[in-house]
Amino acid sequence: MGNQKALIGVASTLSLLLVWEIVSKSGAVSERFLPAPSTVMLALWSMVFERDLLYHAGVSTLRVWTAFLIASAMAIPIGILMGSFKPIGAALEPVVDFIRYLPVPALVPLAIIWFGVGEGTKIFLLWLGTFFQLVLLVADDVRRVPKEFHETALTVGAPEWRRLTDVSLPAMLPTLVDNMRITLGWCWTYLIIAEIVAANSGLGFVIWQARRFFQTPEVMAGVVTIGIIGLVTDQILRALHRRSFGYLSR
Amino acid sequence: MTYLTFQNVTKSYGDTKVVMPFNLNVAQGEFVAFLGPSGCGKTTLMRMVGGLEKPSSGTISLRDEPLTRPDRRRGMVFQSYSAFPWLTVAGNVAYGMRYRTDISATEKRAQVSHFLSLVGLTDFADSWPNRISGGMRQRVAIARTLAAGSEILLMDEPFGALDAQRREYLQLELRRLQQDEGKTVIFVTHDVEEAAFLADRVIVFTRRPACILAEVDISSKLGRDRSLDLRESSEFFALRNELLHLVRSTASVEENT
Repeated sequence: MGNQKALIGVASTLSLLLVWEIVSKSGAVSERFLPAPSTVMLALWSMVFERDLLYHAGVSTLRVWTAFLIASAMAIPIGILMGSFKPIGAALEPVVDFIRYLPVPALVPLAIIWFGVGEGTKIFLLWLGTFFQLVLLVADDVRRVPKEFHETALTVGAPEWRRLTDVSLPAMLPTLVDNMRITLGWCWTYLIIAEIVAANSGLGFVIWQARRFFQTPEVMAGVVTIGIIGLVTDQILRALHRRSFGYLSR
Repeated sequence: MTYLTFQNVTKSYGDTKVVMPFNLNVAQGEFVAFLGPSGCGKTTLMRMVGGLEKPSSGTISLRDEPLTRPDRRRGMVFQSYSAFPWLTVAGNVAYGMRYRTDISATEKRAQVSHFLSLVGLTDFADSWPNRISGGMRQRVAIARTLAAGSEILLMDEPFGALDAQRREYLQLELRRLQQDEGKTVIFVTHDVEEAAFLADRVIVFTRRPACILAEVDISSKLGRDRSLDLRESSEFFALRNELLHLVRSTASVEENT
């Protein structure tokens, strides 16, 4: 069943690429605007082996993970506290909720005023886009832990604070990992915005440079690279999730 | 000395009275069923024994000591499956002993298999709770409270979600365990037959706010040993019908008003 599903997925993707290839090559659409998949692959090839695409991909990945890890390291404990203790949740929720709704691109000018155009700006923007989202997700996950689990802990003699380590943390861990996986995806969105506006390295910079010289195949190759990185990371995290939380399957 | 006593216990949430002044003595080793319509406040009373909720007034005491906080003397078995899914069956049972200081770590390890065999789960020690049946999961929860050394078992419709056959089997097992281990049980249910079959004494509740409609002594008529044959005896039927009429009267009261 699983194999069949994968086969259908591959087949439909390949047919889509084939249609695209035919449309571009037939001249129905100008290749300047819609280069064929084969042209994009050639551009990607030369960008990887003749130029420094891998370096830029590495820089971008590093930025994403740095900001993501900082945001997670802050959001997880704060979210757990917000979810576990009502006064803390009540105190922080309005602020977090407000900032969460601010569109990150709108804060780019402010970030540049504060941090210049160096690494600080990018990390700050990515952090901004993920921390406030993740903290609320974590708080919700903690609140969703069944009351019976907490009460079980208390009636076998666990001290009040132990509910955090005995119950909240293990009970929410599977959803936490899922939420982190989704948040990591958002990080890439904000990264490209940050790199287009203020950077001289990274995939966003590469894409923006290619645009200036009307190198549509290179623009697309840059986008494809981000897609590939995202897909691979997502699959690795999914596999990790399956391995670690196998007990959830029936 | 009295064992478990309720003295003028009341509970209200805001203006809603859930429990009227409630008085009851429960003897050590007694199996008491709280029988009444859903939402009548019997679960609230039981949760107050566990220290999971506080009475609005009055006191519940164990050996004359007021009960205010949860601790492992009163173990809970919930209606929903409360076995931790991230621990194996054995891990869940071991968790019951985690905060015991009266036995050593080596003893705890040895005791896990003892409690597993008590509830017949030895072969499932390494299974995950999500992969065993609902009845087995409730047995895990029972073993966990036994492992915690709880002397009072508080059970809130623990077999409510099970099919009739499994429920009957677990009822029999529970009664045997309770007798062998000398535990005191407060068992909340709205199933008349379950109450009659399991309990030494059945407390029938009115609709909310909860107060005692009647007390029916089962053991003086059926004895303390329960078997499946008993379920077909005329004495059992008489008791069951008596309880059924009492429960029906609570329903008609509401319909007439």
